[in-house]
Amino acid sequence: MLKMQNLSKVYRTHMIETQALRGFDIHVREGEFVAVTGPSGSGKTTFLNIAGLLEEFSSGEYLIDNVNVAGMDDNARSRLRNEKIGFIFQGFNLIPDLNLFDNVDVPLRYRGFNSAERRRRIEQALTQVGLASRQRHYPAELSGGQQQRVAIARALAGSPKLLLADEPTGNLDSNMARGVMELLEEINAAGTTILMVTHDPELAARAQRNVHIIDGQVSDLEHETRRALASLSTTPEAV
Amino acid sequence: MFRYYLSLGFRSLRRNPILTTLMVLTLSVGVAASITTLTILHAMSGNPIPHKSERLLVPLLDNLPADNGNDDGEPPEQLTFMDAINLWEQKGAFRQTPLYGLGPAIDSGRDDLPPFFTEGVAIGRDFFAMFEAPFLYGDSWSSEDDSRGAKVVVISRSLAEKLFDRGSNPVGKKVRISDNDFSIVGVLDKWDPVPKVYRLIGGERFDTSEDVFVPIRTAVALEFDRNGSMDCSSDPPGPGFQGYLKSECNWLQYWAELDSASSRLAYADYLLAYVSEQKALGRFARPVNNRLFNVREWLDSRGVVDDDTRTSTWLSFAFLLVCLVNTVGLLLAKFSARPGEIGVRRALGATRADVFRQYLTEAAVIGVVGALIGLLLTWSALAYIRSLDDSLALVTRLDGTMLVIAVVVSIAASLLAGLLPTWRACQVVPALQLKSQ
Repeated sequence: MLKMQNLSKVYRTHMIETQALRGFDIHVREGEFVAVTGPSGSGKTTFLNIAGLLEEFSSGEYLIDNVNVAGMDDNARSRLRNEKIGFIFQGFNLIPDLNLFDNVDVPLRYRGFNSAERRRRIEQALTQVGLASRQRHYPAELSGGQQQRVAIARALAGSPKLLLADEPTGNLDSNMARGVMELLEEINAAGTTILMVTHDPELAARAQRNVHIIDGQVSDLEHETRRALASLSTTPEAV
Repeated sequence: MFRYYLSLGFRSLRRNPILTTLMVLTLSVGVAASITTLTILHAMSGNPIPHKSERLLVPLLDNLPADNGNDDGEPPEQLTFMDAINLWEQKGAFRQTPLYGLGPAIDSGRDDLPPFFTEGVAIGRDFFAMFEAPFLYGDSWSSEDDSRGAKVVVISRSLAEKLFDRGSNPVGKKVRISDNDFSIVGVLDKWDPVPKVYRLIGGERFDTSEDVFVPIRTAVALEFDRNGSMDCSSDPPGPGFQGYLKSECNWLQYWAELDSASSRLAYADYLLAYVSEQKALGRFARPVNNRLFNVREWLDSRGVVDDDTRTSTWLSFAFLLVCLVNTVGLLLAKFSARPGEIGVRRALGATRADVFRQYLTEAAVIGVVGALIGLLLTWSALAYIRSLDDSLALVTRLDGTMLVIAVVVSIAASLLAGLLPTWRACQVVPALQLKSQ
């Protein structure tokens, strides 16, 4: 589903050059649920932005759903992003003066679906996240957890193959976080590939695979190791 | 997608009401100022009879004395009675008419309507056909009426409605004009050529057309005083009205209609021959200095649109430019407050072009609202100008053309003002905005 080989990303200013990713290799298969962890500044967000075609990379190769994205212009990248990728952000990023229906409608508009198709998809997505009855409400009228569910509905409405989640529970309390995580697991179970950046070892442990990024490079951890790391981080002795 | 952008544009008006109000007001005041002055300029610089512009001519003949002191090289702007009547009788053109202004008194004979003065012109019967004056009832008087100076009159619709029952046909009835009974032969429908091209000298150029039209021979026979300007280079040979008829005083305007524009040269030759003939009779002491003006040339030469009007139009458009610059600033403020939304839309599949179209449509929506309020302000400003000066009533009408221009100017201005803010909005880097939300 997603394959990066020897990818690098360099940020340059007139004073300084920062290597955010170097020799970055990753292969995420269709249907996987991959948690991306790593310390702050390790390159997780850069990786997610490049994966989501929001940023360009400096060198290397990136294939998404077997499509090589190198050299694509803005229109092609936007179209690919719209058709294949869904985003979930830590800050929800709903548009405040659009109601839930219209928020979920945004990516569908750019997709060019007709009115009936858009309505069907919006209602289906909002039903899936349990907010069908509140489609005329505005984001400010919802709790954080509900807003994140709307963001998930928005990401799902276009039936993306890949869901990119950047700290999706970072702004939620544990109850709400659990609910969102369960929803993501359901979505993954239905076949959508998920790449989730998180700082939370507990959440990372629930993913099928954990990719650890350190200094802009991938360190793929085995499932058991992750479980061990998770238990270490939650036992008092380990602190 | 345009409808989607349009709905987002209207929705966005509510987003920041104070900023939106400021933008709309700035734009509408600029539009109102420019469209108000443009409306006046447009009306003043109009040609009321464009399809005949090349065929309707004003001849000027230079009858000034050889030793004329203030010689600017131009002939007088009107003709003498002798020349006007000579040219008229010789029928050197397809149609022709001399013309001088009158200020006749009308006596209705009714107790409820005391005698009153009004505006009139003394003309030849061709006048109506030449300027395509529309008849509501009746028609022009006959050639015979012209020749014998019959007491016949064509009156305006407004005078007819004032003197007789509204809707009734007064043709055949009598009306008392300056102590003489005239038989009404025709009633003109509402007719207000702007500018009043046939009488640019000695009359209000933008006033409504006259109420009374009488044959020139009749007016002269009854010694109806002229209501207009006169330029005498020497004293009249005799006293009173009769003296002016034989004088070298220039006080009549004259119009000739050619059968085609290509006959202009032939008509110029005819005038040359006429002046040569008059020279042989001892008149026209100076070298031949005839002039011919078609309608457009005549309007230009008379300076119908004064410099003040042109200057105020330029100034008002400069003011619109200032408003535009302010709108750019306000739009920048409005759009720059929304990088988060732009980032989200880009992440969800909007191309830069989509963002550009959305935000430019939003700017256009402000232009549409600005246009509507601007039109209201324009209408009020024109009404105010009318209330200050009645003679400007005809040039302070907001016609369909100006309505369209106002809307186009407003939307174009808002689109122009929206270009920079929209371009800036398109430069938002989504990755930066999404993380910082």
